[in-house]
Amino acid sequence: MERHSQLPMSFHLKVVMSSDPRFLSVVRAAVGRLGEVYGLTEDSCREVTLAVDEALANVIRHAYKNRHDEEIEFNCQARVDHLEFTLVDRGEPADLARICGRPLDEVSLSGRGTHLIKAAMDEMRYERVPAGNQLRLIKNIPAAKVTVEKP
Amino acid sequence: MERHMGSSTRIEKGTTIVDVVGQIDLGNSPALRKTLLASLKDADRVAVNLNAVKYIDSSGIASLLEVLKEARQCKKRLVLFGVTGAVSQVLQLTRLTGVFEIRENEEQALEA
Repeated sequence: MERHSQLPMSFHLKVVMSSDPRFLSVVRAAVGRLGEVYGLTEDSCREVTLAVDEALANVIRHAYKNRHDEEIEFNCQARVDHLEFTLVDRGEPADLARICGRPLDEVSLSGRGTHLIKAAMDEMRYERVPAGNQLRLIKNIPAAKVTVEKP
Repeated sequence: MERHMGSSTRIEKGTTIVDVVGQIDLGNSPALRKTLLASLKDADRVAVNLNAVKYIDSSGIASLLEVLKEARQCKKRLVLFGVTGAVSQVLQLTRLTGVFEIRENEEQALEA
């Protein structure tokens, strides 16, 4: 598919969703398409989509203990040279040991989500904020792919 | 893209084949695990066709891993085939490609 040579200057999507896994596919569709618009490769688009999905799934599983009626605020912003994803929830504080990522091994059934997020993103920052938990994920856009329209 | 996960089961040459379609995520990976464990109860060899799976997350991978462990424990065989695109990428990222028995297509899975 041919991509537009002039990319939009800005993009900001804010989603306030219930912690219901049925909404995960909605966010995946938006993130995947955004990555495509910003010139990420197919593999990179899939990795970024997976990372955001894993981060949301972690909120549902760990912060909200699989309760599906809690609130998650998801922000997705395109900057000149990077894509920024922010997740805010009001659940339990994150287990920092889990966020730091455990070494992968064959027998472990869990802990792979954080590994996938780190593999896909250029930056991952967790903060405890007044509203609850905030996770910020950054994906840099390769310079060659970015075209800024001049006025 | 098929957004929901679905599966159907058939038997070919003594092997139970589970054809999976759609996207596997936190919402439906427990159902997949249940289906595969049930198939494993009734057969010595189960082959999972992932050719029509367009998305899988770590919970889906964990489900496959759990079924593999059960198969090993019961001295049965679990084979994956049709592993391409998103599924292949996630298996590589989680360094599990070598853990599963993977065949390219159904014919090879049945001969394995």
